[in-house]
Amino acid sequence: MITFENIDVVYPNGFKGLSNVNLQINKGEFVAIVGLSGAGKSTLIRTINGLVPFTSGTLTVGDDVVDPRSKAKLRRLRSRVGMIFQSFNLVTRISVLNNVLVGRSAETPTWRSLLGWYRAEDKELAFQSLERVGIVDKAYMRASSLSGGQQQRVAIARVLAQDPEVILADEPVASLDPPTAHKVMRDLRRIQQELGITTIVNMHHLDLARSYADRIIGMRAGEVVFDGPVEEATDAIIEEVYQRSLTAEDIVASDSATQGTVTSAAAQD
Amino acid sequence: MAITSGTSSHSTASHSPATHGASTLGATPRPEAPKPSGLVYLGLGGLAVVAFIIFWITGVSGNILLIPLGFVTLWAPLYPVIGLAVMLLTLLVCFRARTNTMGAFGALAFIIMSYWAGSTVNFTLLEIPERWSNVEPRLMAFLDPNWSYIWTVRDQWLITLSMAVVATLIGCAIGLVLAMFASPVSSPNKGVSQAIKAVNSVIRSIPDVGWALLFVAFIGGTAHGLGPMAGVLALLMFNIGIVAKLLSETIDSVNPGPVEAADAAGANLTQRNRLAILPQVLPGFVSYGLYVFELNIRASAALGIVGVGGIGSAMMLQLNRFAFENVAAILIALIIVVLLVDMFSMYIRRKLL
Ligand SMILES: Nc1ncnc2c1ncn2[C@@H]1O[C@H](COP(=O)(O)OP(=O)(O)OP(=O)(O)O)[C@@H](O)[C@H]1O
Ligand SMILES: [Mg+2]
Repeated sequence: MITFENIDVVYPNGFKGLSNVNLQINKGEFVAIVGLSGAGKSTLIRTINGLVPFTSGTLTVGDDVVDPRSKAKLRRLRSRVGMIFQSFNLVTRISVLNNVLVGRSAETPTWRSLLGWYRAEDKELAFQSLERVGIVDKAYMRASSLSGGQQQRVAIARVLAQDPEVILADEPVASLDPPTAHKVMRDLRRIQQELGITTIVNMHHLDLARSYADRIIGMRAGEVVFDGPVEEATDAIIEEVYQRSLTAEDIVASDSATQGTVTSAAAQD
Repeated sequence: MAITSGTSSHSTASHSPATHGASTLGATPRPEAPKPSGLVYLGLGGLAVVAFIIFWITGVSGNILLIPLGFVTLWAPLYPVIGLAVMLLTLLVCFRARTNTMGAFGALAFIIMSYWAGSTVNFTLLEIPERWSNVEPRLMAFLDPNWSYIWTVRDQWLITLSMAVVATLIGCAIGLVLAMFASPVSSPNKGVSQAIKAVNSVIRSIPDVGWALLFVAFIGGTAHGLGPMAGVLALLMFNIGIVAKLLSETIDSVNPGPVEAADAAGANLTQRNRLAILPQVLPGFVSYGLYVFELNIRASAALGIVGVGGIGSAMMLQLNRFAFENVAAILIALIIVVLLVDMFSMYIRRKLL
């Protein structure tokens, strides 16, 4: 369980990224965070693993109270909280397997990381993670030789290799085409259901949020302005969050459009 | 539904330029190119005149330009006037080409600097013909190298090569560690990064010959049979300076994404530098290593002069004996070796990158 109590984030330049956020995210929940650009979605997600330090309030992840000042504690927290990024953030010059093994860093002695000499059980865990996202056969290929959707799956495998309690995803499908975006979201949803991992995803696209999340959190100007189950997040409510009417940019593509292109998408995989 | 109507209007808008683009080309008014500020150019012109006056006052050349105008004869110092003409012409060209003011200032600064620097050391090509009688016999010796001599100094070549290899390997290893500490991207904190950068600047501010002199003085040179030792240490410091500097700048510009991902996975600093940064800078690192190896071979020829052994000391010996045909043989062999090393490093780079 993740709890925000009166969390404020003030950036070093004085900009207030989050103001007085109170949230409770239950174990195993799939939460989508929506809001316009600059609303503070990334800030909220990055506060959870300490990539952005909060400046006041109390944040707990599981049993631990997050302390942004202690590097050692942060590392331990981060080993339990995986993160997925919009631009995949793979090391493109090394193999897929070595990228996934980066997720084992917290459990690997430093000298082993330095030599690149991983334990057999860590490698097995990495292979299992790749298996979950269906790209085991690419293990020894260079990460740069994979398509965007495949690279994001490697990133998901890297997170799974951490054996995390929580997955944070910052716009994980924003740089993918609609059919691939749906596939990656389906992967995330399946993993959340199979392993019971709490999953928090930032989204630009309302339809994706509605199809894959249990719960939607709406943000505006650093504040949580809506929080409720998907059914409650009607167009009217979201227009209220965005403070404008919905447009075509707010959706990726309808499911029927995705169905129509399934074969061609499968071919490019 | 708002979403549906939005979709259709969006798609028509994106198609319109393609459908009737060709017939309307040229109809849209072109935006005016931004004009450089005339005032700034006037200021630059003033700068040129100031530079001219300074050249005039500090100039030593007695060449005077006389400009008869009929009723009166103007005179001006020849070289500063040429300089002024070049400066004003450059400004005019820059103004016509609408170069932005920073670019024009750069061009002007370039001219002023080269004029000033050239006049300070009296750099002119006019002297070479005057000293031709001195140059000619040596040049003839150089054109007739003593090929049989090359083979007799093969041991010295081996020492030079070994010095370069050892200094490159160790220098790159130390340079890598220093670079990781020097770049703010990979260092533990800003303070460490600043301190290492300062140390590195000091290392680089001493030239290779300077290091060689220092080590020869401290531990002894060829005379004590320690020449190569001093040479390796000198080259080592030289290599550390270059590799740490170039590599830390490469680290500054790595893609921060993978680094953040490693942080987010709970990796410690060493792991994240090894896993997310090293792979990104490896091609650069290899290039820099090959580059300093080449520099080392060349530098060891110069270092021989201060007594660190290797092919440089053999060359020094022959120079002292006025055996120019032997020196020529060594120089030509040096050119060939450097070319070979260059080809070798190009091959490796192609294979690796
Ligand atoms: N490091 C920083 N320093 C100062 N201000 C920042 C920093 N990072 C983000 N901000 C500001 O905080 C606000 C929220 O940023 P955030 O990245 O959380 O928005 P977002 O909702 O994720 O937007 P997007 O959809 O564009 O990713 C923005 O106004 C942004 O300018
Ligand atoms: Mg964001």
